[in-house]
Order: sequence, then C-alpha cells, then structure tokens
Amino acid sequence: MQKNNITALIYDIQGFSVQDGPGVRTTVFLKGCPLRCPWCHSPESQRFDRELNWMSIRCIGLDTCGMCLDVCPNGCIKAGEVTQNAAGDDIRYPEVDKTNCDECGKCAAACKATALYMCGDEVTIDDVMYRIKRDKPFFEDSGGGVTVSGGECLAQPEFTLELIKSCKELDINVAIDTTGFVKYDVIKSVMPYTDMFLYDLKCMDSDLHKQVIGVPNELILENAKRIAEAGGKLWIRIPVMPMYNDSEEHFKLYGEFLSEIKDAVIMVQLLPYHKMGLSKYARLLTNKQVFTAEPPSDALMDARKAQLEAMGLPVRIH
Amino acid sequence: MYTFRPICDRIERMRVKVRDRLIVADSEKEQIKMEASQRYHDYPPMLQKPYISLEVISRMPIDIVEDEYFVGDMGNRGWGASGGLFWLTVDIENTWPIEEDGLHHAPDDDPFYSHQKLAISPEELKKLRKIEAQKRAVYGEIRPLEWIPDGAQEFFDLQASDYGKIGGFPLTLPPGHLTPGFQNILRRGYADIRKQAQDWLDEHEGNVQGNNMGKFLFYKAATVACDGAIKLTRRYADLAREKAAAEKNAERKAELEEMAESLDHIALYPARTFREACQQVMLYNVFLKVDNDPGVTSMGRFDQYTWPYLKKDLEDGRITMEKAQELVDAFFLKINTFYGGGFGKPTQTAGIGHLGQHTTIGGVIPETGEDATNPVSFMVLEAVARLELHEPTISLRIHKNSPKEIWDCAMVTSMRVGGLPLLQNDEVIIPALISELGFELEDARNFAVIGCQEITGSGCDYPAPNGSSMSHSGIYWAIALLMTINNGTNPINGARLPEKLRFGYLSDMKTMDELRENYEKVCTWMLTWSATLNNYTEHEYPRLFPYPNLSISTTGCMESGKDVSEGGAKYNSYGGTATGLATTADSLTAIKYMVYDKKIVTGEELLKAVLADWEGYEPLRQQILNEVPHFGNADPYADCEMKYMMDLYYGISRAFSNERCKVYKCGTFGASDHVVQGEITWATPDGRKTGTPIADAASPAQGRDISGTTSVFTSATTYDHSHFMDGMALNLKIHPTALSNEQGITKLEDMTKAYFDMGGMEVQYNIVDAATLKKAQEHPENYHNLVVRIAGFSAYFVDMTTAMQNDVISRAEHTF
Repeated sequence: MQKNNITALIYDIQGFSVQDGPGVRTTVFLKGCPLRCPWCHSPESQRFDRELNWMSIRCIGLDTCGMCLDVCPNGCIKAGEVTQNAAGDDIRYPEVDKTNCDECGKCAAACKATALYMCGDEVTIDDVMYRIKRDKPFFEDSGGGVTVSGGECLAQPEFTLELIKSCKELDINVAIDTTGFVKYDVIKSVMPYTDMFLYDLKCMDSDLHKQVIGVPNELILENAKRIAEAGGKLWIRIPVMPMYNDSEEHFKLYGEFLSEIKDAVIMVQLLPYHKMGLSKYARLLTNKQVFTAEPPSDALMDARKAQLEAMGLPVRIH
Repeated sequence: MYTFRPICDRIERMRVKVRDRLIVADSEKEQIKMEASQRYHDYPPMLQKPYISLEVISRMPIDIVEDEYFVGDMGNRGWGASGGLFWLTVDIENTWPIEEDGLHHAPDDDPFYSHQKLAISPEELKKLRKIEAQKRAVYGEIRPLEWIPDGAQEFFDLQASDYGKIGGFPLTLPPGHLTPGFQNILRRGYADIRKQAQDWLDEHEGNVQGNNMGKFLFYKAATVACDGAIKLTRRYADLAREKAAAEKNAERKAELEEMAESLDHIALYPARTFREACQQVMLYNVFLKVDNDPGVTSMGRFDQYTWPYLKKDLEDGRITMEKAQELVDAFFLKINTFYGGGFGKPTQTAGIGHLGQHTTIGGVIPETGEDATNPVSFMVLEAVARLELHEPTISLRIHKNSPKEIWDCAMVTSMRVGGLPLLQNDEVIIPALISELGFELEDARNFAVIGCQEITGSGCDYPAPNGSSMSHSGIYWAIALLMTINNGTNPINGARLPEKLRFGYLSDMKTMDELRENYEKVCTWMLTWSATLNNYTEHEYPRLFPYPNLSISTTGCMESGKDVSEGGAKYNSYGGTATGLATTADSLTAIKYMVYDKKIVTGEELLKAVLADWEGYEPLRQQILNEVPHFGNADPYADCEMKYMMDLYYGISRAFSNERCKVYKCGTFGASDHVVQGEITWATPDGRKTGTPIADAASPAQGRDISGTTSVFTSATTYDHSHFMDGMALNLKIHPTALSNEQGITKLEDMTKAYFDMGGMEVQYNIVDAATLKKAQEHPENYHNLVVRIAGFSAYFVDMTTAMQNDVISRAEHTF
C-alpha cells in the first residue's frame, strides 16, 4: 500500500511510441533533468516543477473570453494589442510576463481553451499503471512494453523503481531511457527490473560535454561500463549534432568506446538533429536564445552508420 | 520493406490515357434505351428488363482502343459518361463554357466537378434533353407522391434521415450493392446456365401449373439474360476480328486475333486461361451495368477466383509473373474507365471517381479455413499502389495466419495511397456471418466486401446493405437528440416530431435516465419509419427491379427458379448504416458531465448555448471541448456512451423484417456522408458548430481523440463489433514519420493485430501525405490528433508553429 503514496511529476504518457525501444511501447515521460542540452527537443521536460505554458493557437481571444486577465495574484497577465492569428483573423492575446510568476496555475485553471496550461501532472503509481494495463494487449504481439523516459527518469528514483516493479509483476518488458548522469547506486537499484537501458551518449569529449551541456561525461561513460559489467543491456542513443559530435574522428571515439562494451550493446540508434523542438520553446514564455543548426545530411548519417557498422556494431538511424 | 515491381511501358501509356481522359457524354445509348423501353413497355416486368438489355447490347456503340488488353465498355462512343441522363441535373447550357473543341466543359472551379474532366457537345446535350422530355411524357414522374404511405411525409419533413435529405420517397435506387457470382460464371459459362433454364422450359412447355408460373417467367428471363451476355461477348469478338484485319502492327494484329478467338470461346464456355478469366469477369461486370447503372456491383474475391487459372498457366509455361502483373494492372485500369462523371450531393457523399467496384483479397480458403493469400493478392495491391488508382477500393481480409509479406505489402500500399487497403478481420466477421445472418461455414469463409464497407456473401447473397429505397437508409441520430431536448423541434428547420414525442426541453428532464428514455422513444419511432419505408419498396421490388441478368450468376436463383428480387438467392438480408455516432455519444457525455454530474451549467443554459450555435458561449464551448471526456481516449466515462448508442441502434433494429429478409443489419460506415449530414445538423452539445461535419463513420469525432492510437482501439472495442454486419469503418490518420523505417511498419502491424485480438472488425490507415498536412494547417480544428513523430520527439502537428509545420510538410514530401 505504501508505494501508492509515491508520486512523480510527469509531462506526458504516450501510447504507440515506436521509436523508444523495441516493439509497440507506452512511454512515460517524467519531468525534470539535470542536463541542459542546448538542442533539447522537449524543453518542457527540463524543470522539476510544474510550469505555466502558453499555446497561442488555442486562445480564443480576450474579447471573446478574457478569463485569464483578472486572476493572476502577481499581475503577470495584461491585455495585448490586436494582432492576427494563424487564420488571419484579428485577435487580442494576453501578454504574459513570467518575471513575477510563481507557477500557481490560477490563470491556467481559468483558461477554458487551455491556451494557458500547466505542464506537469503529479501522478501516483496507480494512475500510471491504469494506463499501462490498458495498453498491455498492444505490447504482446510486438515484443514491446513500457519505456520510462524524461527528463531524467532516474532523477525521481523511488517512483521509477516502484513503477517498473509494478510492470514486472505483470511481466511487462521495461526500458529505462536515461542520460546516465546519476549515481550508479540508483542504476543498480533499478537493474533487476530493467530489460534494457536506452542510454544517451551525447559527446565523447568531456571538456566539450561540460562546456555545452553543463556537466562532464566521465560519470556517464563510467556508468555505461558498469551496466555492461553487471550484465545489463544497452540501447545506445547518439544525437548527431552538426559541428559537435558528427565528425569522423568523433565517431571513431564512439566506436572505440562502444567496442569495449560491445557485448552489452544491443543497438546503436543515431538520431539526426532536427528543428522540430523549436516550436516548443515559445510555449515556455522565456526569452532565452534558442540553439539552432542545420540538420545533418542523409549522406553524413549513412556514413556515420557505416563507420560504426564496420566496427561490428548494430546501428540504425531513427 | 516491401518493394513494388516496375510498371511496363504499355501500362504506363494506358495509365496516362485513363487518368487524362476527357469524359464526353453522348445520347446514342440513351436513345436506344428509350426505344427499347417503349418496345417492351407492356411485357411482364421479369421479361421486360432482360429484353431491354438485349436490345441495348445489340445496338450500342462499342470500340476497342489502341493498346487495350481487355474489351468491354459502357456503351457510348468513348470511355465513361454512360449515365448521360444523370448529367441533365446540371444547367450545362448556362454554366459550362464552350471551349475551342466546340464542347461544353465542366468548369474547374466548381467543387462538384473539380478534378473531373467532363464535356458534352451542344447537339448531344439537346438530344439528351429531348430524350428526357419524351420519357417524362410517356412515364410521368418517377417519384409518385401518391405512393407515399400515410404519415411518412411528416417523417420526411423532419429532414432527419436519409429520406429527408432529398425531401421525398425515391424508388430509383437501383439494385446492386452486392457481389455477383463471378465464380459461377467462370465455372459454368453462359451456355450451360442457359441450358439449365431452357431444359426447365422444355420440360414444362404447355404445362405450367401451381406456383410454377413465376418460375416459368424467371427461367424464360434467364435465357434472355444469357442471350444478352453472349451477344455482348460476340460483338466484341467480331470487332476484334475487324480490328485485326485492319491492323498494320504484326504483334498487335496477332493479339487482336487471339482476343477474337478467346471472346468467341468465353461467349459460351468457361474461361481456359487467366486472361480469359479476367476478360469474362470484366464483360459480365459490364453486362450487369447495362440496365443498371451505376449499380455498385463489386468485384468480389478477385484473387481467389482468378488464381486457379494463373496457377495453371504458370505450370503450363503459358505466362510469366511479369505478364500476369501487366494483365492485373490492365484489368484495374480498365474498370476505372467505367466511371461516367459524378454530380452534386451523391458525388459529395460517395467521392469523385468512385464506382463501388470494391475488390476483396486475402482471407481464408472456404473449404479448409487455411490462409488464402496467393500471388494475385499481391498483384492487386501492386496495381492500386503503383498506378495510384481512384478505383477500386481494396479490402484485405486478415486472419490469425495472414503472412507477414501481405501485411507489409498492405502497409506500404497505405503509404502510397492513403486509407487503402481496408483491413477486415476474418476472426470477427466469419463467426458473425454464421451467428447473425445464418451463413453456412464455407459461405461465411467466402465473404467479400462491397461498395463503401458492406459485408456480403460471394455470389450467393442478395444483401441490400443500403436498403432498397434510399442509399444508406439511416436516421440522423444527432438530430434526433436535438429534437429530444428541444421539445420535438429540429432547430435547423423548425420541423416538429408528432405530439406524442414532444417531451419538453432539456431542463424538464430531471435525470440522465429520463433523457435517455425520451431519446430512445424518438429513435425507435424514426428508425422504425425508415425500416417500414424500406419494407414498402422491398415489397415492390420484384415488380420494379427484377434482375435476371444478376440472378443467372447467383447461387440459389437458378436452383429455385426465383429472381434475386423475389428472394431467390441463398441468403437474404437488408440493412442500413449510421455514420458518426461519436458526435451523439459525445453530446450525451457532455450533457451528463456538465448538467447532471458536475452541475456546471443548467440544462436550460446548455440548450440555450446550443440553440445559439455557441454564439456568445465560446468559453463554455471550450470547457466542453477541453474538460469533458470524449470517445476515443479509452476513458470509460465517455466510451460507455458510444456503447449505449451502438446497443440502442442494434436493439431497435432487431424488430425489423419483411417478406424477403428476416434480418436487418446495422452498419457504422458512411463514405463522406458525415459531411453532407453535418451540413443539415444544428450545433450539438459536444461543442460542434452548426453545419460542420459530424464524426466520420465509427471513428472518434474529429480532433477529439488525443490519447493516441492504442486508446482509440481500446475505446472502439468497448462495443460488440459482430452486431454491425452491414460493415464498419474506423478511419485512422497516421503520420508517415511513424513509419519511416521497417520497424515502424512492423509495429503498426502488431498494433493492428492486438486490436483485432480485442474484437476489432475493421480499420483503415491514412498515413497522411503532405496535401493532408496542408489541410491540417488550414483547418487545425479537425486535426488535433495528428501526431508528428521523429525519433523520440513527438508533437501534435496543429500545435506547432507555421514554420515548423512547413518543415514537417516538406519532410513528408521528401519521404513519399
């Protein structure tokens, strides 16, 4: 009964998730991450608390509704000027200045159109298992199961552990999608209930890793080795970033490292950078400069795939 | 991943010819038809029809076009445009400009004809108008008001059923919507069938007693029908010989000579080769359409009845697989040319270019229950995918032992031509045919799908899946709900239900149960009227539409000496469909949630908002859209209302029957009828606005399913699919990025298998293309559920910025 009291903050649960491990999977996305990858395509996953989001396309306009205007205790919301929506019609949106916002969610509660909404739901194990049980028939034929992802799901270790224990009670295949930037003890604790780790290797150069992402990579590489030694399975994911980790030399380093732990590596998934995440940044109502680059070419992706395959590794793109 | 074969040059030439053809109407066949109708006007109805066909067949213009592999056209001077009189519903004289070629051309900008290249000369148009006037003078109005049963007019005036849609009681729906007995024609040939009829007549010459006079007329009609089919085939044989004599190219000359010899043979006897089998089927299909256009006769299990011939040809070294594919390509290209132009509402409902020549592949072998997939099954998918054909619709029958290869081929086909093939689950349909319709096991295993979605026996069944008088023969359940909560008044036109069905307003109904009780009374009254009108036309069918041309191929008719219209087929049933019940289910959920359970608004306020078409109530509407659960998200609170609707529909229909049919079948398909129906449906309590489409077929309401495909499947299987033997359509949109590699395709297959294991009957995937994405950009409200997936990333398409959407669109264009 005690485990039912454990809660986590999630930002999505997705069925028919086809790119997060083998088979048809249901992926649970936990909110909060210790890393800050500039190319992150799910920026709403980074903070460990609920946060106000804004999606203008849903707003029906202040002249039709205006329910958000008077509810903010900190005076963050003001009426904006008349502008045009995507369809070209005149509309007045609220102007949200999050400087004094304490994420109380009153405006989101007032917004019937859910243009203002709180990202992050506090859920129990039972809540999540209810959904997983419903999707279970879809796992069986396909060799699929549940992927616990993030953010960094191991940054909420108690919940993740109890969740995957519950999955294992129902004989459901479990994948943990992790940055690897956690204490090994945490990994060790989930290992008995984990069929594979979807394991990100963002960069092989520790200085560059720290410079760009904010933390060095030693712990990540060390954890990968220890998982391999302990008999765990690794499904390696490499986001291929132009000018950062996409060179032939860099992939030589990937190849060498992965060769060392080859027996544990069941797949190396190369994920070419894409710009799809850009539209999500605007929803966070921050004015931060957003990273952008040109996606790597198909030819480059094929070359990197071939490079790793030549070293005897199983590789796929996407 | 499955890779398609290349297209040969001759097929490519044919494809361009078919795709770019100008459909030109002329009056010749209509003139012949009118003269024949006058000549045989006083014949008994059973004989009248086949004699008219025979005369039309004997005189109508025919041709064999350069490069053509198969012969058989609709009886005019070019491809298509057979239903010339149908064109006269349009004011061509004043709205179609005359272009350089001297013909009136359909304007490009008119949505009713867009993408159709239609033309007619002023002279032919005049002649057609004259024929129409003469017919009217002789026969008068074909929708006799005097025939309408008492009380029916009030039912029509509600405009809350397919009857109300056109404001009357049509007796013009041609027989059809079925699978002819192609395999019986192939097995026996016309000479043998004719002999059976003639033997009976000889035996009874001068001595017809008891109940046998009906049989006498039927067998006599069957001999005339056979003569018609033989005549049609022989005319083409003669023409092929003529063309061969004049042909300079030696190869084509030889081909035409061979065609002539073949046609002479199949005019009387069973086909000997794969090519002859295709040709015999093609000509029988044309023959059925001669006096019954458009008729909606489907092609049945093409892969099953042609494969034995191809197998033998291959064994004897007469043909290669490449040549066989070429013939299948040619066959399906050719049946596209039967399309003669579409006009107005019917086109909007059924879709442009649609003739209902639905073709079924895969499934099981009737005798053994083993997998029936064969090389022709693949060839059919290859043809529709590579040639990107409008027609026909393809159903792939799936069962527990369907091979992985046919799944793969089907998925790749879906990526080329959205929504095809429809996947039909044998494991649900076969047992249900036995339990619901009394089919024998072998006949059940041999089912085929027709028209939009309807399930029928193969050549042994007269299924009347759309009823016998008004296509789809359904009532409009959302309007019924509006009338229930609005004291019997339809808000869109002010028409009122009879006094006994006026139960006050939503605010007068104190509980959800009281609302349900009232609603059930309204629906029962309406659907029972609909069935009664069907029974009325069914009763008149043997007189209005005897169909000996079809009966000669239908198992049961030749044995019993009864026409299909008289119940001669081995199996008899009728039915109708209800599209978009999710809109009504969601409306019930919204009322339950907002008024009775959470008490957020009063019944009075909610009805006021609905009657105002939500003008001034947008925040309330948004709350209903965003807070109230909707069908399709695996939320029992909403899904139980869909089950309620399905059970209500099925339950009411159990009381229906007529002389020919003991069973009424319910369906949940509807082509594009949800758009047409939506136009005359006032705003609904689920937040839908006046005039916008209701939900599509069995699918969740547009944009309301936001919890992923697995949730849609979970919701969809909350009711018993085996109750819907008229057919079902669950239409799902999947973004191509989900299937960008082999793994994605396999996963979609596995997910479908799981849905079928859960009792799902049917699903079709629209793996959406760039054009659809552009539409999603323009009308985001209808595409809320469209998820873009790229390696772990996912977002709802409509929630992305325009620039990002454009990026995804450009990706889609890259991929496909």
